[in-house]
Amino acid sequence: MAAGASARDYSFAAEYDGPPLPYSLPRAIPLDLSRIPLAALSSSPPASPSASSSPLPVVRPLTPSSLCSAIHAHAHPAPRSAAPAPAAGGAVVDSPTSVIENHHAAAHHSAELPSSPSDDEGAGGGPEALPLKPRHHQPAVTFAETSGSLLQSSDDEDEYEEEEDEDADAGEARPRAAAGQSSGSLSPAHWRGGRTRGCYRCGKGGGFWGRDKESCLACGARYCVGCVLRAMGSMPEGRKCLECIGRPVAESRRGALGRGSRVLRRLLSAAEVELVMRSERECAANQLRAEDVYVNGTKLSPEELVVLQGCPCPPSRLRPGFYWYDKVSGFWGKEGHKPHCIITANLNVGGSLDQKASNGNTGILINGREITKSELQMLKLAGVQCAGKPHFWVNADGTYQEEGQKTVKGKIWDKPIVKLLSPVLSLPTPNKAANQSGEDAVNIVNRVIPDYLEQRTTQKLLLVGSGASTIIKQAKFLYKSGKPFSVDEREDLKLIIQSNIYNYLGILLEGRERFEEESLADRRKISPSDPSSSGCCESGVCDEVTEYSLIPRLKAFSDWILKAMALGNLEDIFPAASREYAPLVEELWKDPAIQATYRRRSELPFLPPTANYFLDKAVDISRAEYELSDMDILYADGITSSDGYQLIRINSRGLHENCKWLQMFDDVRLVIFCVAASDYDEYYEDANGTIVNKMVESRQLFESIVLHPTFEQMDFLLLLTKSDLLEQKINDSPLTSCDWFDDFTPLISRNLLSSSSKSTRSSTGATLPQMAAHYMATKFKRLFQLLTDRKLYVSYVNTLDQESVRLAIHYGREIVKWEEEKPVFGASETVYSEEPSSFTH
Amino acid sequence: MASVAELKEKHAAATASVNSLRERLRQRRETLLDTDVARYSKSQGRAPVSFNPTDLVCCRTLQGHSGKVYSLDWTPEKNWIVSASQDGRLIVWNALTSQKTHAIKLHCPWVMTCAFAPNGQSVACGGLDSACSIFNLNSQADRDGNMPVSRILTGHKGYVSSCQYVPDQETRLITSSGDQTCVLWDVTTGQRISIFGGEFPSGHTADVQSVSINSSNTNMFVSGSCDTTVRLWDIRIASRAVRTYHGHEGDVNSVKFFPDGHRFGTGSDDGTCRLFDMRTGHQLQVYSREPDRNDNELPTVTSIAFSISGRLLFAGYSNGDCYVWDTLLAEVVLNLGNLQNSHDGRISCLGMSSDGSALCTGSWDKNLKIWAFSGQRKIV
Repeated sequence: MAAGASARDYSFAAEYDGPPLPYSLPRAIPLDLSRIPLAALSSSPPASPSASSSPLPVVRPLTPSSLCSAIHAHAHPAPRSAAPAPAAGGAVVDSPTSVIENHHAAAHHSAELPSSPSDDEGAGGGPEALPLKPRHHQPAVTFAETSGSLLQSSDDEDEYEEEEDEDADAGEARPRAAAGQSSGSLSPAHWRGGRTRGCYRCGKGGGFWGRDKESCLACGARYCVGCVLRAMGSMPEGRKCLECIGRPVAESRRGALGRGSRVLRRLLSAAEVELVMRSERECAANQLRAEDVYVNGTKLSPEELVVLQGCPCPPSRLRPGFYWYDKVSGFWGKEGHKPHCIITANLNVGGSLDQKASNGNTGILINGREITKSELQMLKLAGVQCAGKPHFWVNADGTYQEEGQKTVKGKIWDKPIVKLLSPVLSLPTPNKAANQSGEDAVNIVNRVIPDYLEQRTTQKLLLVGSGASTIIKQAKFLYKSGKPFSVDEREDLKLIIQSNIYNYLGILLEGRERFEEESLADRRKISPSDPSSSGCCESGVCDEVTEYSLIPRLKAFSDWILKAMALGNLEDIFPAASREYAPLVEELWKDPAIQATYRRRSELPFLPPTANYFLDKAVDISRAEYELSDMDILYADGITSSDGYQLIRINSRGLHENCKWLQMFDDVRLVIFCVAASDYDEYYEDANGTIVNKMVESRQLFESIVLHPTFEQMDFLLLLTKSDLLEQKINDSPLTSCDWFDDFTPLISRNLLSSSSKSTRSSTGATLPQMAAHYMATKFKRLFQLLTDRKLYVSYVNTLDQESVRLAIHYGREIVKWEEEKPVFGASETVYSEEPSSFTH
Repeated sequence: MASVAELKEKHAAATASVNSLRERLRQRRETLLDTDVARYSKSQGRAPVSFNPTDLVCCRTLQGHSGKVYSLDWTPEKNWIVSASQDGRLIVWNALTSQKTHAIKLHCPWVMTCAFAPNGQSVACGGLDSACSIFNLNSQADRDGNMPVSRILTGHKGYVSSCQYVPDQETRLITSSGDQTCVLWDVTTGQRISIFGGEFPSGHTADVQSVSINSSNTNMFVSGSCDTTVRLWDIRIASRAVRTYHGHEGDVNSVKFFPDGHRFGTGSDDGTCRLFDMRTGHQLQVYSREPDRNDNELPTVTSIAFSISGRLLFAGYSNGDCYVWDTLLAEVVLNLGNLQNSHDGRISCLGMSSDGSALCTGSWDKNLKIWAFSGQRKIV
């Protein structure tokens, strides 16, 4: 049947071997309803096809209207049946402006075929053409029959199998993959190409061997120039018809991925074609599916596939099927066959190697695999003693030893004859890059994540709160091996640090003014009769005026800084001017007045704790040629830049309002809320000038985020950061200084009773910070429980300690894993760190 | 110290008097506003626009984003659309062929808005990076196919929620931001020309969500904000808002000038759209949907657009509806969300092509759809 059809097709095609027609031919549609075998089905009028189109693939080649309505899934009750006649004749194609009208036109045209003969075929065609039509289209009708019935069955199955495919993937994949293995390619169930040369949409244009057609990568349906755009739409996954979007490409067409076509180039601009091809190559649906690839009898996970494809020496032309892989030596081959190539060794993919993997019968084992005859020949050529069926261990570098023996007996690849003869026996020789160990390979993979995979496995962890910026920076160090910060980023950070220095200085100068006034006032109070300033006091309170006063030149500079701060354009002025003012800054910093102020820094609430670190190095930093150290980066407080931090500030201002941009993060998996444990006695001035305790502010922010509709069902991880600072200050400044923690009574804390029986607070004091942190965590947990009735995860972290950050992030990922209970979070170290890095810019 | 307390007292008194005056103004407006557009047109015997469900059809689906679509904009001349999505890409589409002409990977994926320059040669976008990035579409992509940023406009202290080029001026751009200000930029120099709001007392008191520039007088623009007000600004006078429009009870998410330039529409979190008269400050009409039977929360209006005549108001809602309002009679004539082929997710942005022939909708279902009129137009 098929043969007959194709023969007829050929004759049919031969009659049409003229120049390719850029327009569709309405009259080519055979509308002899009586000849269609499925008369009952096709008798439904094509003008109202919405109901009949889907169960009726048989009509497809006949009536474009059915298809156009199927594609547009829209019933046109043909209100304009009279209208299109004049225009429709010639302009059916290629006027994308009015596609809808054209659909109508095409539809009605074909439906009313007898009444509106087309003049497409030229003026002379008229009367002669008419009798020709039936004859010409006789074959076409039969082809419609065959392909129609074929289509029907395959289409029905198609729908069916698609669903089954998803459900019973595990059961089904093996036989299918087996089929793929034998044939070398895997044709999807919905493949429908190769049957006909006509356009699948308009049924027209036999063309010459399908020339001037574009075919769908997934199902093989071919469309003519006029129909391609309508059938394939915006081609988000390359050349696939609309129904096939999301389906895997046919293996036989994999080679065509990303190869441009003449048809598209005719229709679209070069840039558009380029983008279509790019998405074709890169989109996730077109990639090799990991579940189709078996290595050593085990289905690969997506991550393993990436490792495999991303290694320095990947197997060439990987296709679905069964493979064996010798992890020790890197041999790679199809199951039941001799080695095909040597890939990077030590990749952690697939199961363990089977003795019968390459179906050898020589009795000689290499790394536990019985080798094939040709391999044995090769070994003999290489001068390896093979008598007595020895068992060998072969390493990736070609050294081999006998099982159970320590001595390395030699290198297989040392003899030039081996390399010479390998191609003769069609055995692989190692690639130069193959000798890298798998460890390195994994690292490489971690650095370069393909676009498509990134989108599939990204798990977003939202990092919110104070200290978040430091964690992000740490994460960059941890997971972005190589260069964690680009030159630009370093430059930015440098600017931030430099302008921060001016900020800190400004705060100090403000403090200095205050202290000067205070001490002046004090002095007047204490000794109103003594205006002269001769003696110098010992204690800070009754200081001389001079201790806080500056020499006039520095005073001018300080006034200027303060003025700039008041105007709020400090950041704009100073980084640019840092070169000029570096000496002044140095002088200012070394001035005893500033140093005296700095000693009283605990009285300056706005001076961030990290200021110490930078102020100590102020002189270095303010120089233009200053180069950051990694520690500087970690200490850099993202006051001005880091969005992770700053955005939250915005949010805390519009506290209980609906914070719009949080909606963007509705797909995050976990919200990591950072609270600086040292915040409890720190204050900040809000927009209205009221002083707010930072811990209380954090709590409010926490509440508003937890209650935000976007995060309704989200998991929360509370990170208590800056525990080092907490340790430093907890003894000086009691935790109860924050209103929220006023019931902190460490002596009756259960923590103390249970965990620190040996150490009392008075004797060591070491557990006090722990107790405080524990107490804060409990406070937050209770609050969370109250708000959501769920459990809050808590972890403690010192953000300056890389290991502690790593553990905290690891914990966060564990939480996601628990919730997921699916192993999708595997190779995601970098995926994770990609995420926060986007915050910091 | 005493003076501070005194000042505070004075300030409180002044605030109270401002509030009372504002209340009086509102009452006065209410008495003056004896009718609204709908009642008046009904009394004039205007018949509503009638729409068949098939009259507006989805003729293109633009697929290609892998994240929620947040914003879109048409070119004034060519039929190009730029869309911004949470996958961190800007895509420029040819609306006719539905193909992508450019795909621009962004440095910061949290993009919220995008805009086409009047000449169609460059696009701007902004988002949580608090900056507005300009891309020249003619510039060469690098090896990885990434488009270089031609300019970054920095200076906002909060996220950039919306941006629009001043019509006919390639070099002028207005952005609105979460830092409560709007800024007029000179794109060529990257400098701020003027800042609207912020320190000035007549500025917005919460995040600004949207701006719309009057197309008939490009010196005027309105901004809608989370402080529930809309403010009218004159580009030449940055120091104060020309007028403040009260009325909404929720964040104003979207503002759009009426085609005639004398009115503008708003869409808000309170679930209503409103039409304001720019000059008198009156609220002409409220377009509010009936609360559904289950008494759920009203879906919020995410974006609005006017038809070229102004007779139709398209409003996208957070539940995926897209109502077509008859602006005269305040009736819903069609819901694009109920049509075949409609979006699956929230409709986040709407845009009317400059010739008015097509409407583009962007949604959280990652797709954009182009809708066009297919029925017979009855002029009412």
